[in-house]
Order: sequence, then C-alpha cells, then structure tokens
Amino acid sequence: MLLDIFDPKAPPQPIGIDLGTTHSTVACVRDGRPMPLVTCDGTPLLPSVVHYGDHGNVVVGTAAKAYATRCPSRTIASAKRFMGRGADDAETGRLGAYRFVAPATAEDAKIVRFDVGATFVTPVEVSAEILKSLRQSAVDQLHSVGGAVITVPAYFDDAQRQATKDAGRLAGLSVLRLLNEPTAAALAYGLESRENGLFAVYDLGGGTFDITILVLDDGVFQVRSTGGDSALGGDDMDRLLAEAMLGTMDCDAPEYQTPEIVSIALGAARQVKHSLTEAREVAVELPRRGGDTAEFSISRERFDQMIEPLLARTGRACRRALRDAAVDASELSGVILVGGSTRVPRVRAYVRELFGREPLGDIDPDLVVAYGAALQADLLARSSDDVLLLDVLPLSLGVETMGGAVDKILPRNTTIPVGAKSVFTTYADNQTGFDIHVVQGERELASDCRSLARFTLRGIPPMAAGMARLEVSFHVDENNLLQVKAKELATGIEQTVEVKPSYGLSDEQIEDMLIDAIDHGDEDFEARRLVEARVEASRMMLATEKALAVDADLLDQAEHQRVTGVLDRLRVALSEPANASRVQMLMGDLDEATHDWAGRRMNRAIQVAIAGKRVRDVEVEVADAAGVDAHLEAHGAKPPGGE
Amino acid sequence: MGDAFELLGIDPAFELDLGAVERRHRDLSRALHPDRFAGRPPTERRQALSKAIEVNDAWRTVRDPVRRAEALLARLGLSSAEGQGPEPATAPELLMDLLELREQLGEARRERDAAAVEKLRRDVLGRQARVEQNLAQSFSHALRSAPTDELRDALLGQLGELRYYRKFIDDACVIEDEIL
Repeated sequence: MLLDIFDPKAPPQPIGIDLGTTHSTVACVRDGRPMPLVTCDGTPLLPSVVHYGDHGNVVVGTAAKAYATRCPSRTIASAKRFMGRGADDAETGRLGAYRFVAPATAEDAKIVRFDVGATFVTPVEVSAEILKSLRQSAVDQLHSVGGAVITVPAYFDDAQRQATKDAGRLAGLSVLRLLNEPTAAALAYGLESRENGLFAVYDLGGGTFDITILVLDDGVFQVRSTGGDSALGGDDMDRLLAEAMLGTMDCDAPEYQTPEIVSIALGAARQVKHSLTEAREVAVELPRRGGDTAEFSISRERFDQMIEPLLARTGRACRRALRDAAVDASELSGVILVGGSTRVPRVRAYVRELFGREPLGDIDPDLVVAYGAALQADLLARSSDDVLLLDVLPLSLGVETMGGAVDKILPRNTTIPVGAKSVFTTYADNQTGFDIHVVQGERELASDCRSLARFTLRGIPPMAAGMARLEVSFHVDENNLLQVKAKELATGIEQTVEVKPSYGLSDEQIEDMLIDAIDHGDEDFEARRLVEARVEASRMMLATEKALAVDADLLDQAEHQRVTGVLDRLRVALSEPANASRVQMLMGDLDEATHDWAGRRMNRAIQVAIAGKRVRDVEVEVADAAGVDAHLEAHGAKPPGGE
Repeated sequence: MGDAFELLGIDPAFELDLGAVERRHRDLSRALHPDRFAGRPPTERRQALSKAIEVNDAWRTVRDPVRRAEALLARLGLSSAEGQGPEPATAPELLMDLLELREQLGEARRERDAAAVEKLRRDVLGRQARVEQNLAQSFSHALRSAPTDELRDALLGQLGELRYYRKFIDDACVIEDEIL
C-alpha cells in the first residue's frame, strides 16, 4: 500500500466541484488523471440535500435525506432550481414540499427564501452548506486545498451564475472559475480520447437541460452553440409520476397536498423511476387518505408516454443548437451523455433517434462533469497552455428601449470573453444620471426576457438634452458574468456605474452573511483570509518566476531588481507567520512592479501568435535570445509598435 | 487600437480563408485567454481580458460577411452604417423580389409549414452567396486603387442587398423556431 506522504511545503491542491441538482461531487487530479474524492457519506456522490434542525444544526447528504419525509419543509433538495430566482418565480409554484417566505418588499422579492422553521435561508446559503461539506472532505483527504472550479449549466444566466459564485464564497472556497457543465464533460472526454471532431453534449440532470455543440481540435475545445432549459430535468419526471400517485392516494385536492404527503409521493416517484430502468413494470404500495394503502403500478411504456413532452422540449433545443452551429447531426463524431437522468432507457433511445447514432457513455455520467472541473482547476493552477476552452454567451444580451422593446447588443453563441459598445444620449437638459435596463433572452419585448440588472450611470457632465454621447461598454468575462462601464465621449469623463441586480444577493448581504458565520464561530475569519491570501500569493509568485525564466529580456535592470526585490519579500512573508494584510500589500507591490512588463510580454505573445508559432515553442529560443528586436527579426515578425 | 484585420494580423479582403483566420484566432486566444492569466497580478489579468475581448470582437467582425464588409468600407473611408450618409436607391427588381419572398414567408408562417420556411431560407441563402461573390470582386478592386463613385455605389448597394437577405434569414429562423 502506498502511503500518501504529507508535504507541508507542497502547493495547495486545486479541486473541481460539480454542484448538481440531485448530487454533488468533488474531484482532483492525481498523476494527470481525474479522480473523485470521498464525501462525508463515504461515497463520491453526495445528495444535494440539506436539513435544518430545530436547534440550528445543519445536516447534509444522505443523513439529511432521511428527514425528508418527516420534516419536508425543513429538508431542502434541488436548491439549484432556485438559484438566481426571485420569490415570485414560477418554480416556487410547482409541486413541492417547501414553505416559502412571502416577500414584504420589492427588495425582498429579489431572492427566494425557504422557511425552515428556526430560520429563513436562501438557495445560496443552502448550496453553501453543500459546498462546505465538500470542501471539508477535500481538506480531510488532500490536507491542503487550493482554488476550486465549480460547474454550472451552460444555460444558466448571469443571476444564476453570480448566485453560484456567492455560494462558493460563503463556503470559504477560492473560486477560480465557473465552468459550463457540458464543456467540463467534453474536456474530460476530449483529454481522455484525444479524438478530434464535432461533438454534441446532451446533459440532462435533475433540474436543468443543456445541449452544447463543440469542436475538439488538438487541445482546443471551442463551443459552437449552446442551448437548453434551466428548468427541465429528472425532477420534472418525478413530478409527473407524483401527480399520478397523489391520485391513487386520494389526495388530488390541493388541501390534502401537505408537505408530508407531497414528500411521500415525490420520494416514491423517484424510486419508481429508478426501478423502471431495469424493470418493465413496477408496483408500489402507497398510503391512502383514510388510513389504508393502495397499490400504484406503472409500466415502462406508460412512463415513456408520460415523459415524451419533456423529451420533445429537449429535442427542440437540440435542433436549434445544431442550426445555430450550422452543423448537421450527420457531421457529428459523437454524442456525449451527461447527467443521471440519461440513464432512463427512453432518454437514451430518444437521443439515438434524434442524432442518428449511439451515444457515448464510457465515462460515468454522474462523475464526468466533476472530472472536467478538476482537470480545468489543475490546468489553471499550472497556467498551462495545453488546453484552450472557448465558451459562448448562452443568451442574447440586450438593453430595454423607451418603448419596452429590446435592443440586442450581443447575440447568443458569441465566443466569450466579449465586449460591445452602445452609444446613448440624454433626454433632458443638464441630466446627470442615466438608467439602463439590461435583459437576457431572445424575445422582442423586454418584459418577455429575463431581467439582469439596472445600471445607473452617474456623473454625466451637464449638457443640453441630446448632446451627451454616452458610450456604454458591456464586457462579458470568461465566467459569463457581465460588467458595465460608461464614458461620455465629448468630454472623456468616465461615469460611475451603480448596479442593482434584479435577482440575488447584494455584496453587502453576502458580507453580512460572512460576518454572521464568524459570529457563530463557524470560521476564523482572519485565518481564512490568510489562507486565501497565501494561495493567491503562491500562484502569483509561480507565474512571475515562470515569466522571468522566459521574458526577462523585456525588463531593464532597474525593473528587474524591483521585481526580484518584491518576490524576495513575498517569499519571506510566506515562510514566516504573516498576516493577510501584509501578504495582500506585497501582492499589490508585485502587481505594480510587473505592470509595464506585463504589457510588453503581452505584445510579444501577440506577435508570436501572428507569426504562427505557439508561445511554448518560442520559450526555449527566447531564453537564449540576444534581445527582443533581434529575436523578432529572426522570426520575421513585425516588431511591436513599429511599422 | 487597430481595426479587426490589424488585430488578427491578416490582410484586409472580403474573400478570406476563414479556416486560416479561425486558426489565427485560436493562436491569439491561446496567448490571451483569461484562463492563461489565472495566477497573475490583477492589472495583468485585466489587460489580458481587455485584449482577449478585442480579439474576440475582431473575429466576430471578420467572420460575419455584413460586419466584414462594414469594416472594409470603414478602411476605405466610406460610411456604411444604416441610415447614415447618402445611400444609393435600392434596385426596384430587388425590392419586388423581396416583397414576393416576404409574402411567401408570411403565408408559410400562417400555414405553419416548416418545410416551406426551410425552402425559402435556402433560396435566400443562395442569393446571399451570390451577392457575397459580387462583394468579393468589388472589394478586390476598391482595395487595390482609390474607388470611383460608381464602385462606391456598387459596394453600398451590394451591402444593402446582403443586409436584406440576412434579416430575412434571421426572421425565417425565428419563425421556424415558432412552428417546430
């Protein structure tokens, strides 16, 4: 048996987390291969269920599931379906066993709150409990945990993604990146098989459906198009069965559908669904109103009929994604199945019919996404350029105009990161503020799209109406999160932009929650800050040292000394008991010291790319180079800035 | 900051080897994608993000025939934005054709005939391909030597025609979505 030697000087291990609707997993990369970690349940798959006890205690996983029938409104499963959603979202009205808090104000309505007896919790906090548990499992097995990549459905909008990031933060994780689930699955398959070509990823989970068309080409994973439904999954199959069962239980009328009864029906529905994977006919005994029991039986044929409308919805999304990608199903090299719900025999058959080929399922559909996340976390930690993930904007981004229509700024399926500019003007004399309502979706009316946020520009220089030229820049980063900047063109004055997200928690609310957690002795805030600062500092030092090994020729002597000076001070600070503020201050120094040099390195990288070489191919040569210009001349590239 | 062609380091032309441009885009992305800068100082990350966005935007421009044509016209000092500057009148035959096509599309929508919509879309895709060929020739002349007024009118006219076809195809896709 090989003993894992714990090396206290070893760099913290990056991890990948699949935060699923039904199950969550944490994985890491060992010897170049992804492997799942064991959760508090003793298995790699942790049920995404959280139970809130009478005395404020929290239970996660299978232990929490045990409470589902007894205390259904205090046992939250499928919190993911409520992430980034407001209190009046359709999801809260669907068949379920939860009690929701009626919002008192418009501000309150921005986020769903579960009434779990002793307290109210948001989906973000519920998800944070799951993430905390996974993080603890990782710490137990890896001793030192670095950054985490957390996956999200490709079709998640900005609010849903932000909520996931917030949950990560609350759980004490350093979130390196949000990664789309289909891309993660493709990464796991692609790195495993090294096959090039066009692939479709059909990802049907507990609560979300994603279809992504990608091209795999020598380490480049380029998404061509993505589509889906962020409110469609295995849970909906359960609901259809549960509705039928409630009939058998004589509980058709809403007044009989108490949380306990609904919970029994949903639990039985889930079991029946699973059994129908192997059996052609299943029968269960259900309690009936009045005290006795009744038998509920269903054939696989009948079940297939029931779920056909759900599958048809996935089919529509698939056809549209293929069209957006300008790809015919026959051009695909393979279809990858992801998500536990793809185990349902009718789903596999449907996918086979839809794409005209047998789908791939070699890697466990329950683990493949976590594997991809772990692989990406590892790549990011090593700043590797072996692999390039090019994802896209899943939903068009637009601005609401005066009449309530949408002015599309960025179309869906644009490669990210991406930016666009729009010019607006004022409608009143000396107007110093301006409101922009950003929405996501494909419909023509803003009210039919999903409201993202209201941005208020302040500090517009006073001018006559219609004279100001407000150039608003919309930037979507690699996490698919939006940032807005604004500048008045005539005067060049930049406006401050106030963001009011339409859904979710504000930064202040998150900070309050973090402080709350400290007050309850959950975390030692200072200790955690220090750990985060150390992880970030180590990565920054590693990156700088790597850059020195290759691009030192781009530094003059004074700069070089300055950089190595800060590096030395950082090294010292990290080897002795330091505090977070000192480490952060030194990181700021390093940022400043390397700033101009970074610009030069970037220009060199661009010139190298244009000259048709890979950056790595050049690294070796540059190490011996006489100087920048001599080197570039030798490779026939135009010197930066010159012409 | 250069225009899309300069950012991608390619010669400005309407007719392009899109495969080669895509490979160039990927090479640049490898150097600039934010994932590569994950461990670096914040200012450097912001610089890279900014540059990566510019490169993606340049790719978006070059890859789309309408935007590509607009970028080339900008290089030639000719304004091409819709509604700005004098535009040559649209040829009457073209307008008639478009009206006819629109009527057929409207009928197909009313009858919920997806096959008919598909057929119309393919028809217009064919027309689009032809006008793109014309644009390629016109730009080839214009970029070599200072364009005459005649050439300028031809270019703007062809771009206008391309825009009509593009709008038609987009609308047909939305209708197909509706029906299916």
